[in-house]
Amino acid sequence: MLKTATTVAGLCLVAGLAQAADRWDGADELAVNPLGCEAGATATVTPKPYDGGAPTGAKDLAGKEITLVDVPKLIGIGYFAATTQGMQEAAKELGNVNVKTDGPTEANIDDQITFLDNFITQGVDGLLFAANDPVAIAPVLKKALGQGIHVVGYDANSQPDAREWFVNQAEFNGIGKSMVDAMAAEIGEDGSFAIVTSTFTTPNQARWIAEMQAYAEKCHPNMKWLETVEAQEDNILSFNQATTLLNKYGDELKGLFGMTSVATPASAEAVTQAQLCGKVAVVGLATPNAMKPYVAADCVKSVVLWNPVDLGYAAVQVMRAVADGKLQAGATEVEAGRLGKLPIVNGSEVLLGAPFIYSKSNIDQFDF
Amino acid sequence: MATLDAAAKKQGKGWQPALLRHEVLLAVILVIALIFLAAQTDKFLTTGNLLNQGRLMAEVGLVALPMTLIIVTGGIDLSVGSILGLCAIVLGYSWKNLGVPLPLAMVMALGVGTLAGFANGWFITRVRVPPLIMTLATLAFYRGLAEGISQARSVRGYPDWFFQLGQGDVWGVPTQLWILAVAVVITAVILARTPFGRGLYAIGHNEVGARFSGIPVDRYKLIIYTFSGAMAGLAGVIFVSRVSTTRSDMGTGLELDVIAAVVLGGTSIFGGTGTMLGTVLGFIMIQLLKNGLALTGVKGDATIVVIGIVLILSILLTNFIQRRRSGNE
Amino acid sequence: MSTASLARGSSNALGAQLKRLVGGQEMILLLCILAIFLIVGSLNPRFIAERNLSSIFLGNAYVAVAAIGMSMVIISGNIDISVGSLIGVLATISGTLAVNGYPIIVAWLAPLLIGVLVTGFMGYLVAYLRMPSIVVSLGMLSILKGGLISVTSGAWISNLPAGYALAQLRPMGVPMPIWFMVGLTILAAWWMRYTAAGRSIYAVGGNAEAALLSGISPRRTVMMVFLIHGLFVGIASVLFATQLAVIQSTVPPNLELTIITASVVGGVSILGGAGTVIGSTLAAVLLAAIGSSLIFINLSPYWLRAVQGALILVTVLADLLRRRRQARRR
Repeated sequence: MLKTATTVAGLCLVAGLAQAADRWDGADELAVNPLGCEAGATATVTPKPYDGGAPTGAKDLAGKEITLVDVPKLIGIGYFAATTQGMQEAAKELGNVNVKTDGPTEANIDDQITFLDNFITQGVDGLLFAANDPVAIAPVLKKALGQGIHVVGYDANSQPDAREWFVNQAEFNGIGKSMVDAMAAEIGEDGSFAIVTSTFTTPNQARWIAEMQAYAEKCHPNMKWLETVEAQEDNILSFNQATTLLNKYGDELKGLFGMTSVATPASAEAVTQAQLCGKVAVVGLATPNAMKPYVAADCVKSVVLWNPVDLGYAAVQVMRAVADGKLQAGATEVEAGRLGKLPIVNGSEVLLGAPFIYSKSNIDQFDF
Repeated sequence: MATLDAAAKKQGKGWQPALLRHEVLLAVILVIALIFLAAQTDKFLTTGNLLNQGRLMAEVGLVALPMTLIIVTGGIDLSVGSILGLCAIVLGYSWKNLGVPLPLAMVMALGVGTLAGFANGWFITRVRVPPLIMTLATLAFYRGLAEGISQARSVRGYPDWFFQLGQGDVWGVPTQLWILAVAVVITAVILARTPFGRGLYAIGHNEVGARFSGIPVDRYKLIIYTFSGAMAGLAGVIFVSRVSTTRSDMGTGLELDVIAAVVLGGTSIFGGTGTMLGTVLGFIMIQLLKNGLALTGVKGDATIVVIGIVLILSILLTNFIQRRRSGNE
Repeated sequence: MSTASLARGSSNALGAQLKRLVGGQEMILLLCILAIFLIVGSLNPRFIAERNLSSIFLGNAYVAVAAIGMSMVIISGNIDISVGSLIGVLATISGTLAVNGYPIIVAWLAPLLIGVLVTGFMGYLVAYLRMPSIVVSLGMLSILKGGLISVTSGAWISNLPAGYALAQLRPMGVPMPIWFMVGLTILAAWWMRYTAAGRSIYAVGGNAEAALLSGISPRRTVMMVFLIHGLFVGIASVLFATQLAVIQSTVPPNLELTIITASVVGGVSILGGAGTVIGSTLAAVLLAAIGSSLIFINLSPYWLRAVQGALILVTVLADLLRRRRQARRR
């Protein structure tokens, strides 16, 4: 029986080694839409009819006090603590909104559904969500719409018809371009790089990797992708994985992409502890606080991220506009308090703006 | 429920007189909790909400039934969450990528679950790998297979009829709740009323003794681990139907929820004692606590703290009462 | 407690221990580790470069340290599945003390004390109130995890003071975590084999009634095991917290599974009464070596977990076969 077990292990090994890679590991298979190669290129806006859903029999809430519940992917991590902070800021500013954040303690589709379900039963005026899975979350969101509850997503989308609006922090292809351009600027057009991501099943990360691949093939064809490793949302594991990549490729590896706010600082730490600052570039998505030491030490030149506080703020503003009837199908922009007017794209998405690049000169202005 | 009560009573009058006490205690705590939560919010004790909670707890419930049988024998199965994930992937992959008709794919998923459970049972009985080690290894291995086969792709776009299982109703009651009810009755009868069930208690009490008294210990064990895999497969199919997508990380951490429900229900982790009624009360209690606390505005992080405390206190209380009683007698 | 005195005290014991090693689960693990180094090293020499070897040992040293305490708990016939949450909580406490201006030594020692208090509480419930350890630690897992999220909301701890990074020190050129891993393993192995208290753990785990008859108090032994376990968890959490420049203040995912896997792959019998901490430390190193080597041989990352799981299974089966062959020879 040891033989059988060993054979099974061997077969898995062979299956694993025989895998042909025509796309980068961790990328998804949905259609990609790379932006133009020149600096500042944006997508040509093709008008698209409203494709979101609508609540049935929604109460007239215009100007009235509303109660919202926000269910992020999980609670207890810095990123969603920052979006929560933004939501509270918006609620305070508006004065007629109560918003509470609650959710699962692990990024688990089942737990998130249970939470949403409970809040539908409890009876709220609006639900805000960041989906762990765009399809799995759809039935429960449709149930909410069916009971006249307004539904607005942020950070991670669901199927469009399961919610009214989605506040998009940055378009996937915009992130792809920013990341790859930043990397190319640091390691040159023929540099090799590797990616540290959370898990391959996380939809946002998979989308970004797919867009990065498409953009790199279009605009930086000589850059070489080496491999992608998974590191959960675990900072020590991310550090170990990044270190292993540095050890494996030696001088060949010129850059590391961190796809999460955990992987990026951990990769920077790995480069710092291996004393490769300046030799291996780290580019990635991260929150400023976690990156300050590495940016200050000149080990990381640029960090790509939208401001999650603004994202949460915008989500509540959009929800208020929906409840007041100010944001309706066919609108082209929406008023969002201190953020000014935000454009509507892709039918039913509110775009927060271009991703922000933090660098040594401005990182100290942010605290989240 | 009559069968269950009878089963529990029989068990109580038999060789575990203290056993009935835990279920009674648990039922009393459950009723108090229900009254308390119902007083806090009128949204809690409604037919709609309770049926909906039934829908949400079906997967944990289905897996908790064979887990009770396994823990009664003094074993454990940590791989159930991974088997659930593997079966979900097999269902989605064979339907979407191999073009297998969906009903057949569902059967295949159940088959793979059964096979995965059988493999656990085979190594545990034939090679004598301790259950905890075996299922710890397959916890990693089955999840790994799910990831490898799926290549981290989700499968979506199932036909509407398939959602009947996880999202539909039969006579106003969620479909999976019927399945769960039938499974509860069958396993309760098996555990309490058949020689097989008595054999499981005997194995849990004293495995060597059971062997000498002519109980086919290995065959019994093989059956319950295989059954556990099959039920995890069934739960997987229902889960896919409920959430309408397939992901390789489905069911992560399920094993701990299930074990918590079983031990809260009074089944001793050392084997030899436990009833299906206790397990049913256990998973109902956890689900309703989570739901009721959420409805009264308690946050998720505080809720898991409460559940941890309830778990420890309820077992502590039972131990305490049992010791008082045995001290008095 | 200096490492030098440790080495002196256990040099004889070490010799005896080495002799016993041959033919044991420890030997199998050692061979597996060497085989991985040889095979993967010949495919890609960078694998056995000093830098990579150091990170293999370094990255999982805290797992090995926690697995020492866990092994004792398992040998005594118990288990602790709250260990991952406890490490997360203790690391957060340590980091919070450090950034709030407490002396660094306090930030290092507080987790040890609190770890002992928490596991002591669990040990009391298990030993004196006769609660199953799996229930106690399952409950504790929820309490610690929920409590940590309630208190911190996941805010990262950064700007740690200079000198706090214990795990990044390199006395005599060897990283601190490796000193701890090797030193504590030798100390614990010696203590478990050559002291009455250490041996009583095996007695209690093997047969509590027999132990009682021979004058060992199973309650006191179990209580002691949990207290020591808390100490090791505390040390592991400090190594964990000081490895990077920031602390995540969350519960590391699946850490309890990794630690328990290291213990059982190391040959600790889950039924209690057998196993050594040398085995669990070697197993922790083996798990790290497997993780690293699969990246080096360009295995598709989608199949990584399947191969890891299969390899764990093979190690366990090899151990069982060896035991059975030994039994037959007798």
